[in-house]
Amino acid sequence: MSTAVFAPSRLEARARVLLPLLLLAVLALLPTAGLTPNMVRLLFITLVWVTSSLGWNLLGGFTGQVSFGFAVFYGLGAYTAALMIDRGVNPYLSFVAAGLIPAVAAVFIGLPTFRLRGPYFAIATIGVSEATRVIMNNLAITGGASGFRIMEHRPFRQVEHYYTALAMAALAVAASFLIVHSKFGMGLRAIKQDEDAAADLGVNPYAYKLAIHAVAAAFTGIAGGVFARYAAFIYPQGVFAFQTSVYILLMPVIGGIGTVWGAVLGGIIFGVVEEQLVASFPQLHLLLYGSLLILIILAEPGGLVGLLGKLFRRLRTPKGKDGDTDSGGRKADQVFRRAGCG
Amino acid sequence: MPEQQIYGFIGPNGAGKTTLFSMIAGSLQPSAGHIRSRGKDVTGSRPFRLVKSGIARTHQIVCPFRAMTVLENVQVASHFGRKDITRTAAARDYARQVLARLGLDRLADTLAANISLGDQKRLELARALATDPELLLCDEICGGLSPTETRAMLDLLRRIRQQGTTIMYVEHDVKAIMAVCDHVMVLNYGQKLAEGKPQEIQNDPAVIEAYLGKAGSEKKGSRIVA
Repeated sequence: MSTAVFAPSRLEARARVLLPLLLLAVLALLPTAGLTPNMVRLLFITLVWVTSSLGWNLLGGFTGQVSFGFAVFYGLGAYTAALMIDRGVNPYLSFVAAGLIPAVAAVFIGLPTFRLRGPYFAIATIGVSEATRVIMNNLAITGGASGFRIMEHRPFRQVEHYYTALAMAALAVAASFLIVHSKFGMGLRAIKQDEDAAADLGVNPYAYKLAIHAVAAAFTGIAGGVFARYAAFIYPQGVFAFQTSVYILLMPVIGGIGTVWGAVLGGIIFGVVEEQLVASFPQLHLLLYGSLLILIILAEPGGLVGLLGKLFRRLRTPKGKDGDTDSGGRKADQVFRRAGCG
Repeated sequence: MPEQQIYGFIGPNGAGKTTLFSMIAGSLQPSAGHIRSRGKDVTGSRPFRLVKSGIARTHQIVCPFRAMTVLENVQVASHFGRKDITRTAAARDYARQVLARLGLDRLADTLAANISLGDQKRLELARALATDPELLLCDEICGGLSPTETRAMLDLLRRIRQQGTTIMYVEHDVKAIMAVCDHVMVLNYGQKLAEGKPQEIQNDPAVIEAYLGKAGSEKKGSRIVA
């Protein structure tokens, strides 16, 4: 976090609290502003993505463990909520379960996979994710390849879904900030940079990684559950797809890995753009994501938040008085952050 | 091993000095034998447990958390390495105290990636100290430092000993070891070659042979020049 290096002014500190609240207020008022149902739907989907993105960012961004297996949690959350709501359980109660079950699964997946490091961990998560998809596709309870239709015996109100998603995303942002600024979060950041050094100073890397994996899975699982209730129809090849894993990883990378607002920004951009891309380039959109990923990692590993930060600092620094040590420091920071992300 | 002393380890490359430290600190498991700390068998304990029981180490190759500030680096140690500090503010205060003691306070808010090697070596020591160890393992903390920096570092070690910490010290620089240690052990190929007071070691024929070869020991009156 390069922000810690430059002492923030009082104005900035205040803006840091007020701006998010302002954003929340705007989002809360939007549905009353006469948006079309399709716009509300798009915003709803975006908030679901933002929450998943924040979940992945806890493990991949703050702790440096790049997982390609978050579709497992998204899918498990979706199916947990779907099966419970279908049996008449209160939807909000079922969202709690949609967080808990993926969290438990995350611990069991983590037990063997966190014995591996870096790229080996990433590859193992692909294996777990694909195996889960195949199993789920062949279970009767998931509806198999023909999918699962959720019968909710309540009237459908789009606004209710929207506010549920908004509350979920807001809680995810708040929880992310709480985690990052806690002792737990400091341990995670230490693990990201040097697991062995962290262990020598008293951090238990294995236990910490298991714990944050569970929390991240809970975020993503609840997002999956909220989505499932809205969609009313889910199928294993959709929610458990490898593509879903890639989407969830792509968002924080676009926005700025390892920063809360980066994960949010990435989720928003992805949510707004994704459907357009699929509609315009039904065959090519995955190729576009791949190229985008490579471009970001090569050109601006800090994502959009990193890029904006640079522009902002450049605008603020008077011409000709650019602090040389400053820019050198940032450059080094970038390089090491890149190394830390693997 | 006597407490509240500086216990030096020297030996040629590959003698097993760093390996010994890694085994004591728990990052490597010994293939035979046991490690006892105050009569308690701690063989096979993990590093993050050992550090809480009072054993801390520095690394020969510095490994600061580069994207964290110097203060944050030390704060990780004071927050996680001690049982008695649970609050973040207390951990930060203690980290500041340690930085002040080591003369790093002016760099508190600099990223660890941007400080000099000498300061990074100090930071290694600061992190280990912030865990409030009873036994401090210092692995080549003077390696790559200028003579002035080395002298300052050795003074620091003496002060740490005075405050009641037992130090195990590995260094390539024989001069540094002889200057600061109460007791020295010479290792060669994983075996103990000699042990004793610094003066005794300097005159030990086996040690001279390991360092200078056979020809050296035959020369009359030759000793390791400190």
